[in-house]
Amino acid sequence: MYKVSLLTRDGATIAFDAEPSDTLLDAAERASIYLPSSCREGGCGACRVARASGEVELMSYSSAALSEDERMAGDILLCRARARGDLALRAPFDEAAVGSAPVPERRATLVALEPAGSGAVRLQLQYEDDPTFGSAAQFAAGQFVELTLPDGSAKRSYSLANAPNWDGTLELFIRLQPHGAFSNYLRDRAAVGDTLLVRGPQGQFTLDEASPAPRWFVVGGTGLAPALSMLRQIGEFADQRPCRLFFGVNKVDELFALDVIDELQAALPLVVTLCVWKPEQDWRGFVGTPVAALAQALSSATERPDIYVCGPPALIAATEETARSCGVPHDRIFSEKFTAA
Amino acid sequence: MFCYQCEQTYRSDEGAGCAGAKGMCGKDAATADLQDILLYVCEGVGQYLHRARQLGATDIEADRFILFAFFTTLTNVNFNAAKFVELIHQASQIRDRAKALYENAARAAAKIPQTVLGPAAFVPASNMAGLSAQASEAAVRKDAAILGEDAVGARALILYGLKGVCAYAHHARVLGEERDAIYATVEHALDMLAREERDVATLLDEALALGRANFLAMEALDAANTGAFGSPTPTSVRVTPIKGKAILVSGHDLKDLHAILEATKDKGVNVYTHGEMLPAHSYPKLKAYPHLAGNYGGAWQDQQKEFAEFPGPIVMTSNCLIEPQPRYRGRIFTAGPVGWAGVRHIADENFAVVAQAAQALPGFTEDAPEKTITIGFGRDTVLGVADKVIDAVKSGAIRHFFLVGGCDGAAPGRNYYSDFADEAPEDTVILTLGCGKYRFNKHDFGTIGGLPRLLDMGQCNDAYSALVVATKLAEAFGVGVNELPLSLIVSWFEQKAAAVLLTLLALGVRNVRIGPTLPAFLTPALVDVLVEKFGVQPLGDAKSDIAASLARAA
Repeated sequence: MYKVSLLTRDGATIAFDAEPSDTLLDAAERASIYLPSSCREGGCGACRVARASGEVELMSYSSAALSEDERMAGDILLCRARARGDLALRAPFDEAAVGSAPVPERRATLVALEPAGSGAVRLQLQYEDDPTFGSAAQFAAGQFVELTLPDGSAKRSYSLANAPNWDGTLELFIRLQPHGAFSNYLRDRAAVGDTLLVRGPQGQFTLDEASPAPRWFVVGGTGLAPALSMLRQIGEFADQRPCRLFFGVNKVDELFALDVIDELQAALPLVVTLCVWKPEQDWRGFVGTPVAALAQALSSATERPDIYVCGPPALIAATEETARSCGVPHDRIFSEKFTAA
Repeated sequence: MFCYQCEQTYRSDEGAGCAGAKGMCGKDAATADLQDILLYVCEGVGQYLHRARQLGATDIEADRFILFAFFTTLTNVNFNAAKFVELIHQASQIRDRAKALYENAARAAAKIPQTVLGPAAFVPASNMAGLSAQASEAAVRKDAAILGEDAVGARALILYGLKGVCAYAHHARVLGEERDAIYATVEHALDMLAREERDVATLLDEALALGRANFLAMEALDAANTGAFGSPTPTSVRVTPIKGKAILVSGHDLKDLHAILEATKDKGVNVYTHGEMLPAHSYPKLKAYPHLAGNYGGAWQDQQKEFAEFPGPIVMTSNCLIEPQPRYRGRIFTAGPVGWAGVRHIADENFAVVAQAAQALPGFTEDAPEKTITIGFGRDTVLGVADKVIDAVKSGAIRHFFLVGGCDGAAPGRNYYSDFADEAPEDTVILTLGCGKYRFNKHDFGTIGGLPRLLDMGQCNDAYSALVVATKLAEAFGVGVNELPLSLIVSWFEQKAAAVLLTLLALGVRNVRIGPTLPAFLTPALVDVLVEKFGVQPLGDAKSDIAASLARAA
């Protein structure tokens, strides 16, 4: 049995014991400590933490979840790591992201399904009343939920795009993947009134509320969803610190939720840069990637912002490299990788 | 950061004060520094307002802002760094307005306006990074080497007493009660802090002036609460939950509680009080709401466990908030001066969303066995039976009164107060107020001649009520308050208590026992002054202190 100590971003220490045969995630859960995670198979990176001291054995994992550079820097995936001695870990999330009970499972009804730009859909779900959780949608802005198809044949995780609320509403933007099990359902069979199982909230990609720095969001495609959730929450809290959003897509017709972005701009000190990589129409906005737009903005910034980046792994890596080269400390860059499924 | 304003301040052989990345209250270094800067800019506002007032010009909105700004910096009130950046810039604009007010008044009086330096000339940076770099200019001990430790301690006594005055005056103001004399004293004190007065005797005189202003503030608050909601009357309060949807209201602000009761009227939601909100049940216009269902939990320091277990939304209306834990962070709301980054704040007194949250959350699934306590012994109730009380004292049935009151806290030594109440002889009466009473208010103390031996006089905000009772009894017996068979055993935690202590001293009340520790900002020389001039005593052990109190009275 080894001692594991996890220091959270906000300075709390979480301790648990781990058997050599346990993954660290399982060991924590045996102690009723539910750490952020998603796929539990080394594929998503949701449970990535930094190892300060001690040895672990890492089982197989996807390089999209943990790059070679990250592993060399000491990062590990809790779902794929087994302790080989006492461990000291550093988490990129606050204590608030750590649960003391299993992730809730609730039923929700599909109440709206509509296109969101080219190749994506907007999904709205309504929680059913539940004796344990009531009917509210309680989560931290930026978190995701795992949805199970009505027939139980597939599960997928998607970020929430709305702010926590008492109506019990969940809003999601989902990119339709060719031949994806969940995408096929959404494209072919989904109907208002369907009931889905919702496992969540989960994830540590949330606002560092205690930081007084400006907040910049760098997102690609449906990576916009958690940024919208956070910005809506910032608006609800009437937080007036400056925000920037760099929203990138490949083609103009892939842009979506522009009405929501307009509303946020009206309510917040929010500067938006819409970035289209390959505009085929008369496009007056930024031409290029959101990372290129970020680099331009950072070069003239008077204050180092906190950076929240969400999208494909390549976007995350490019954003981290650009931000660090412009003087943003590693621990002020928060990321969530989207992988196709 | 450096902060030593409250009882829980970090203490070591090297000295006292929270100076790390986070204070004992949970306030981080950035927020602590921003609070210092806010108060410094407010000193600048006070410099101009004080001078303008001498020329007959006032700005009540600026005065009101100072009350609010100071209130946000009390221990366990506001931890939101972004809010303080906003308040600093607001204070800076108000200072510009105060400057114009003063200069116009001077010109109207055919005088040349002075060039005012110090905080009046401080230019706060536009962003967080710049403000952090300026923190040392506003730090509470910045001139210790020049002023000397005793002057710094006396200035801290003024600064922290001023925070208490502002908090009480703000509470009163939101219910429509204001006193211009309070504003004049606040402005005077700010000007004195700004000009770096170092004469200890002068500073202590200023502290006593604040104590007198605080008496006015407490009187205004009493008028505000009783004017709005009637005089407290003895009331039996349920302290166990009943089945149904539920809201928990903590803090001190009766107006917010009233608004919550209105927002939840006829919605099938029960409202519970927590901590210092318990006395609300004794106000006629509040207890008239049938869904004001009971009191839940204990004092503020237990909130993290109690809030986690409460199955509905929680509203923190004023101090004392501690870090919201993950299990309830999504369902706690702040109001008024309170704040925590990432927690929903209601700035407009519209609590409809709280009612909505209560209906969306599970609530209590079953009734707990019924238990009650009796509260509501405010000044009108006690003085209403003054004849009986006086007769009981004259006949010897009541030998002594102990006012065991004030704040509670987590320090182990605070069992002194429950020991004291439990050990008090059966021919003595215990008056209590503040949340320290949660250590013993569910104990059975019995009665003397039909009068309960434990009389709950209300919140720490109701210290005025106890002073009125003491003064009236002294009048009835034809003696001074210090000659009454009355001992004050005061538990302090934060800056409202500092203000109340200054009031007691200003009114000439002697021999107050204060604890569990003495304020860290008081130097040994300042403590000596308080002991010699006012008979202030640190706590001993409960039995000995009871014996000493009874011996002195005899």
